[in-house]
Amino acid sequence: MEGTIDSLLLGFSVAFRPDVLVYAFLGCLVGTLVGVLPGIGPLTGISILLPVTFGLDATKAVIMLAGIYYGSQYGGSTTSILMRIPGEASSVMTCIDGYAMARRGRGGAALCIAAGGSFVAGTFGLIVLTIVAPPLAAFAVRFGPPEYAALLVLGLIFLSYMSSTSLLRTLVMAVVGLMLGMVGIDSMTGHFRYSFDLPELGDGIGIVPVAVGLFGLGEILSTPSAKVVSDVAAPRLRELLPTRQEWRQSAMPILRGSVLGFFVGIIPGSAHIISSFLSYALERRLSKHPEEFGKGAVAGVAGPESANNSASTGAFVPMLALGVPTGPITAVLIGALAIHGVAAGPNLVSEHPDVFWGFVASMYVGNLMLLALNLPLVGLFVSVLRIPYSYLYPLIIMFCIVGVYAVNNSIVDVWIMLIMGVLGYGLRKFGFDPAPLVLGLVIAPIFELSLRQSLIMSNGDYLIFLQRPVSLALVAVSAGLLLLAAKSYVLRRKDWRASLAEAEAGEAQ
Amino acid sequence: MDRRDFLAGSAAALVLGGVKPLRAEDNYPSRAITLINPFPPGGAADVVGRPFGAALEAVVKQPVVIETKAGAAGQVGGQFAANAKPDGYTLLVHIVSISGFEAVDKLFDRKPKFTRADFIPIARFTSGPMALLVNAETPYKTVKDLVEDAKKRPNEIIFSSSGLYGALHLPTVLFAKAAGIQMRHLPTNGGGPALTALLGNNAQVLVSSIAAANAHIKSGKVRALASFSAERPSSLPDVPTLKEQGYDVEFYLWVGLFAPKGTPEAVVRKLREHTKIAANSEAFKTAVKNIGDEHAYLDGPEFQKFWDEDAKRVEDAVQTIGKVQG
Repeated sequence: MEGTIDSLLLGFSVAFRPDVLVYAFLGCLVGTLVGVLPGIGPLTGISILLPVTFGLDATKAVIMLAGIYYGSQYGGSTTSILMRIPGEASSVMTCIDGYAMARRGRGGAALCIAAGGSFVAGTFGLIVLTIVAPPLAAFAVRFGPPEYAALLVLGLIFLSYMSSTSLLRTLVMAVVGLMLGMVGIDSMTGHFRYSFDLPELGDGIGIVPVAVGLFGLGEILSTPSAKVVSDVAAPRLRELLPTRQEWRQSAMPILRGSVLGFFVGIIPGSAHIISSFLSYALERRLSKHPEEFGKGAVAGVAGPESANNSASTGAFVPMLALGVPTGPITAVLIGALAIHGVAAGPNLVSEHPDVFWGFVASMYVGNLMLLALNLPLVGLFVSVLRIPYSYLYPLIIMFCIVGVYAVNNSIVDVWIMLIMGVLGYGLRKFGFDPAPLVLGLVIAPIFELSLRQSLIMSNGDYLIFLQRPVSLALVAVSAGLLLLAAKSYVLRRKDWRASLAEAEAGEAQ
Repeated sequence: MDRRDFLAGSAAALVLGGVKPLRAEDNYPSRAITLINPFPPGGAADVVGRPFGAALEAVVKQPVVIETKAGAAGQVGGQFAANAKPDGYTLLVHIVSISGFEAVDKLFDRKPKFTRADFIPIARFTSGPMALLVNAETPYKTVKDLVEDAKKRPNEIIFSSSGLYGALHLPTVLFAKAAGIQMRHLPTNGGGPALTALLGNNAQVLVSSIAAANAHIKSGKVRALASFSAERPSSLPDVPTLKEQGYDVEFYLWVGLFAPKGTPEAVVRKLREHTKIAANSEAFKTAVKNIGDEHAYLDGPEFQKFWDEDAKRVEDAVQTIGKVQG
């Protein structure tokens, strides 16, 4: 422990050097911009700026590039809350209650809570990272295909159990998502599936075009057919800050989101994407007022936003401790370190303590910078809502199109988004919730791959899921949830979900 | 360039322009060059392509932009470059697996999206040595141990790869064929996940570029049993090559630069000259050394010769894998 503190002091002595501070600030600033602008994701931002770092030393390079990454997680919630455009999959859940809060005139509060939650979660993730990175990383690598498949099953069951609207509707949406996720090259046999000879569909349907279409564009398309009360959205300045009650409501969700997000984040693969979905479901279940979710529940913003931030910190654990990338962004960071002659791997801490600890310490500093950067900007961002809809909406449509095109420079993605926009409009009209569809799409390729990988490992024996302790535990929890869900049917007693659905049905009439 | 240079340059251009009308290829490059990276950021084509782009920028005095067009294991970017206007402003950075797509498409009776003939090879940058790795918890100390056990338990030992018919799958299959063994294939979706599977002992065997795995070889988490080069690579001097041990297998994870078919002669010649200077600059060599790759520059014609030989190995590997029954 004492060693850790000494090392951290060494790290801070690096992180507080004025030149290093400048690069940390630059990274955070670019990251905030990247997060706010729907066109550029963190991956693009980092890749474009990578050659700029060739003239720097490894420490400054990685500090700046990482700043872009975690900085973008801060900014990512902005467009979700203000315009209902999810910049990436991890902000999908923020769209729902964040946007609803903005419509009620609490947009500023939602942005503040998102920033505050991100700060707490980022710092929490760092503290855990500092103390226990190496043993955690060893565990994370053991997390193989069977554990992964079991985790995703748990995620799906968890979400459908938590869903308030008709179970059938939720399942239909999730299944549509899973089916859309089947499009693309079969990674086991190389066959093209449902791709209509478009090589762009070879890698499947992207999450961003679907999410942006269903949420962003779908929202705009449905506006003309609904009564819009535009004066609610523009808040007065003193209403920007969250009330004391709102902070109190968000405290526990932030803490839970932080813990949940971190542990999901350290798993190599794309697990971090589901952290915000899991957190949303968890908060809804634990809430005393689950009926408020979807209509601007504070916890629905605080939990998922914290979860995706601490997941992004968690993603550094396998990268720093083992040199194993958890996703494309950490892969680029490892490449950036390599170009500077620093091999990311188990020996990084002993061979380059200044890089490792300087990097960790700079993230503490960077989190503070981001908070300072983001809170004053809330006022500015919220004034976007003062723009009359007749001007704002065409702008949003432009952002949607440019943003989706920029992710892969693919016009096919733009078409997918437009089609999904129309679909999103239809779903809204008929009262279907598009979130399970996005989740199904996110999960389908990972779930298929890990399920089939597991069966390759066991030579086709499904018992492999019960033979490995971690996956056994996950399967047991899933089974428990299913039993709980069945109980209400068997005992013919209304549980909280049924009364909730009734309340909602009553409102709709 | 300050204002005086700019004025002088513009004046010179005007004078020259007055003397003889310029053809587009005479003043190549006169605008930004785009390098297509067909893989997700962080892959071999990316980490080699970016320092090369920076070096080329200094030579041609024009911006060099890297555009990522990832998808279908490098096929989307390849197809995009093959169909780009052949004017020398859109080039492709690709790796050894570029030779395999045609064979795979034939295997499935699909019309090939592009063939090797759609590209003019400009230069090879690197030729990364690869190694046969096993998880350190396995009992295998030599290739012989592994082969003997695999013969006793056919289709039981699991090897991971970056994906079906990918740059890590192909050499593994060539080795298995030469050794007469069968192992079970655990495809993942990238070099990183393939290595993760080996580290977690969810796969026991992996053929990887030494650059990607060296940190883990040094830390003792994985063991290198053999290398796939003709001679022992400098990064693993103590590990024997497969050829030394009697397996006639050779494989390299090379990265090269291509121009679309139909690019004018004059442009190709100029591009090769510029590339030669950039690829042999100290800045680029240092960057390649740092990522643990082996600088192995080949100019267009020699690269074409190497590529023709290499493509035979790749096509042989694709045939050996055949059509996988799902």
